Amino acid sequence: MARKKRTTRRRSSKKRRKSKRRHSRFPWTKILLSLLVVLLAYVVFLDIRVHRQFEGKRWSLPARVYARPLELYAGLHLTSEQFASELRALGYRSVRVARKAGEVSRNGKRFQLISRPFVFWDGQESSQSVRVTFSSTHLKSLQDDRNGGALALARLDPLEIGSIHTARQEDRILLRLGDIPDILVEALIAVEDRNFYTHHGVSPPAIARALWVNLSSGRVVQGGSTLTQQLVKNFFLSNQRSLWRKFNEAIMSLLLEWRYDKDEILEAYLNEIYLAQDGQRAIHGFGLGSRFFFQRPPQELSTAQIALLVGMVKGPSYYDPRRHPDRARERRNLVLRIMHEQGIIDRAQYQKSRTEKLGLVKPAAGTSKTFPAFLDMVRRQLRRDYDESDLVTEGLRIFTTLDPQLQWALQKSLDQQIRPVLKKQPQLQGAGLVTHSANGEVLALAGGREAGFAGFNRALDARRHVGSLIKPAVYLTALERSARYNLASLIDDGPLEYEQSGQLWNPNNYDRKFHGQVMLYQALADSYNVATARLGLDLGVNAVIKTLRRLSVDQPLNPYPSLFLGATDLSLLDVTHLYLNFASGGFQVPLRSIREVLDADSVPLQRYQLSVERVIDPAPAYLINRALQMVVVEGTARSLNRRFAAALGLAGKTGTTNDLRDSWFAGYDGEKLAVIWMGRDDNQPMGLSGASGAMQVWAGLFASAGAVKQQLAKPDSVEWYRVDRPSAGLADKGCKDTVQLPFIESQAKPAAAPCAQGRPLRWLPEWLQ
Amino acid sequence: MKRVIFLLALLLGACSTAPQRTLPPVVDGTQPRTTQPEAADSVERPDRVEAPVPTPAPSGGAVVALLDRADAYHQSGDISNEAATVERALRIDPNNGRLWNRLAVIRLDQGQPRQAEQLALKSNALSRGDTRLQAQNWRLVAKARWSMNDSAGARAAEQKIREPH
Repeated sequence: MARKKRTTRRRSSKKRRKSKRRHSRFPWTKILLSLLVVLLAYVVFLDIRVHRQFEGKRWSLPARVYARPLELYAGLHLTSEQFASELRALGYRSVRVARKAGEVSRNGKRFQLISRPFVFWDGQESSQSVRVTFSSTHLKSLQDDRNGGALALARLDPLEIGSIHTARQEDRILLRLGDIPDILVEALIAVEDRNFYTHHGVSPPAIARALWVNLSSGRVVQGGSTLTQQLVKNFFLSNQRSLWRKFNEAIMSLLLEWRYDKDEILEAYLNEIYLAQDGQRAIHGFGLGSRFFFQRPPQELSTAQIALLVGMVKGPSYYDPRRHPDRARERRNLVLRIMHEQGIIDRAQYQKSRTEKLGLVKPAAGTSKTFPAFLDMVRRQLRRDYDESDLVTEGLRIFTTLDPQLQWALQKSLDQQIRPVLKKQPQLQGAGLVTHSANGEVLALAGGREAGFAGFNRALDARRHVGSLIKPAVYLTALERSARYNLASLIDDGPLEYEQSGQLWNPNNYDRKFHGQVMLYQALADSYNVATARLGLDLGVNAVIKTLRRLSVDQPLNPYPSLFLGATDLSLLDVTHLYLNFASGGFQVPLRSIREVLDADSVPLQRYQLSVERVIDPAPAYLINRALQMVVVEGTARSLNRRFAAALGLAGKTGTTNDLRDSWFAGYDGEKLAVIWMGRDDNQPMGLSGASGAMQVWAGLFASAGAVKQQLAKPDSVEWYRVDRPSAGLADKGCKDTVQLPFIESQAKPAAAPCAQGRPLRWLPEWLQ
Repeated sequence: MKRVIFLLALLLGACSTAPQRTLPPVVDGTQPRTTQPEAADSVERPDRVEAPVPTPAPSGGAVVALLDRADAYHQSGDISNEAATVERALRIDPNNGRLWNRLAVIRLDQGQPRQAEQLALKSNALSRGDTRLQAQNWRLVAKARWSMNDSAGARAAEQKIREPH
């Protein structure tokens, strides 16, 4: 048709040329040619644009972030309730008998489930059919469900805890066409574009039909867009309904069809289509949509759930099943009817699916909001090693160290301590950090009292006076001078006045009393300020600073004696570094929040390996650990004994700052270290001591997560002795009031106690001189 | 066969390393094995507190399974996955001195003598009473130090191999 027009025009121009001669010869050919060139250039421009979008979108994938996978094995510390909550979060369906991956059947403490296949760093973990039985505190047995044999180990798929996306906040989970159930694709084509496999990008019959319907009803009720056109429309995300845009869309659709085959276009569509909005985050594609609404991969969706998602394509906000459940159900059932009419599902399936509930998960579960403080830490680590653009486009898979069980327990415990006090102390805040002592993995992190709130990350960024939390550094410095100090060395807790550059320093104890001569361990256990100050002065500020530096505290430290009592600002992270040295038996373990990074095709990119460095010799490490256990046995943390068995060997230290501005507790069991802080952002008093605030959060955390027995590794050079409390001398059976303490065998130990030698107690005053 | 022996040793390791570190009873509980007190020289021989009886680690099966896998990776020359698998085992049984030793060996293979040395020291801290493992660790420490040109340190470690434990 175009050619015909052109020839007629050419003819008429000839005539004109003849009549008007050379002067007014109109350059038709040139104009036409230039028009053609312009049109061609425009098409090329559109082609480049849509091609770039298509290729770019195929690879523009946010990094996905996973929690640690749960490893199941006999002896694991896990209750049936914790296991059930983990499975719920992972979206395992509760059924009578598990037959497919992602299904679980539970009978009290017995579970039968089929795990999902998953690609980890060390390869594919295939789907396993297992039976799991729990005792009240442990996983009791793990069996292969097919043959009943005992299984040594099974690894579940990890909980996805977030993604790192572009400024446009588009989020998606990339699916290959093969990962998408056929029935979803068939339903989509049946509902949205029946001629998909035959048209060339635009469908004139569909447009004609739409035009007819729209004209006869006087408004736009039907769109004639093919899937290809919808895909193009999604690429450029413009909602204006102009003819020009329609024209562009049509051209680009033709171009896409010319460049790519149907399956490529379909795959792009399934990953690109906009399905929902989650706050700032746009949910694109059926992979993420499936997770967002049902918390499971598309392969595990029911027919009704597939129909619901397919139905939503037409109007994601209009048919939003959370906001408009009735509308969404009606639309779903319409899709089901079409599926039945088209022979995609049989009558029975249709009838059954029509009556099914919508089956949505709560929006909070599985979204990026769940662990913002931890993700913040992960992002910081990633940004040190990767370009921002790679993080948001390369589809990296980030395997982190987060333990959801501990994270939930930490948040719950913080909430339980803070909520009741909020009326009196509306500004009370709290934060916590839990790490694996042996390998430094960050297991849980709370940056504030509100779990899902992404704000000021107090665990990483708040620096506060640490109070008595710093004291172990003073005592370790002393114990490392083993010729002079041991756990029973007597320290004077009498009044102290110290003058430095004209200023008088006279520290006081928390109970405003002086306790005379006390054993070194006791001064730490009861957190006596005056005894600690005296010990510190004897050692020197520089010696203590040197110890802190060795224990990887790299913040500026105030070089005054008040440092011995914690008058220096540290973050929760710094305190964690400090205490990890103790909890790991004298080894420094760098903190890690990421284990591995894989690329979009699960090819390993980077491992963050476990490393250790001995910073405290085994003997003093053992002594300081025993002293920190004594804090719980008989010191400021002794109220923990009401909740925990003494045999657990818990260790820790309370910290309270002036006028009750900061409440700290750092404590560990045989497996993990948790540091908790409570206070106000404006640094005003809030009425809680270390023991009455942070320690209670710690106790709640360990009570619900389960405390693991701590077995300190005794070096050969250390032996235990009984010490007579009144005299601080070595005791024997003749002594009534004794405490057992470890000593370095080759070093000086206390002399015999009066009771051990059968001598009268009058020796005592001399001892105390 | 070699592997069977290693696994057996590992199981024994799991039994002997982890549990010998239970706390002694606190503040005058039961009196463990006291010698007859002799008033005069009790200063020289005061009451020592005995170490408690070991109990087997419950997670041994999982750890053995992971070490099987680590062996397979080792055989196929996939050292990175061998390391990852041993670290996985360490998450389950962090007090197992043999696992730390295995990781130390891997780090030396990976060309990280400093880490090999440190991990061997960590293994030693958890291997009380296991003189063979301790000797292995000191040998590893010596090797690592030699490769870092720390001859004095290496000789000190070699001295430890010969020392009775």
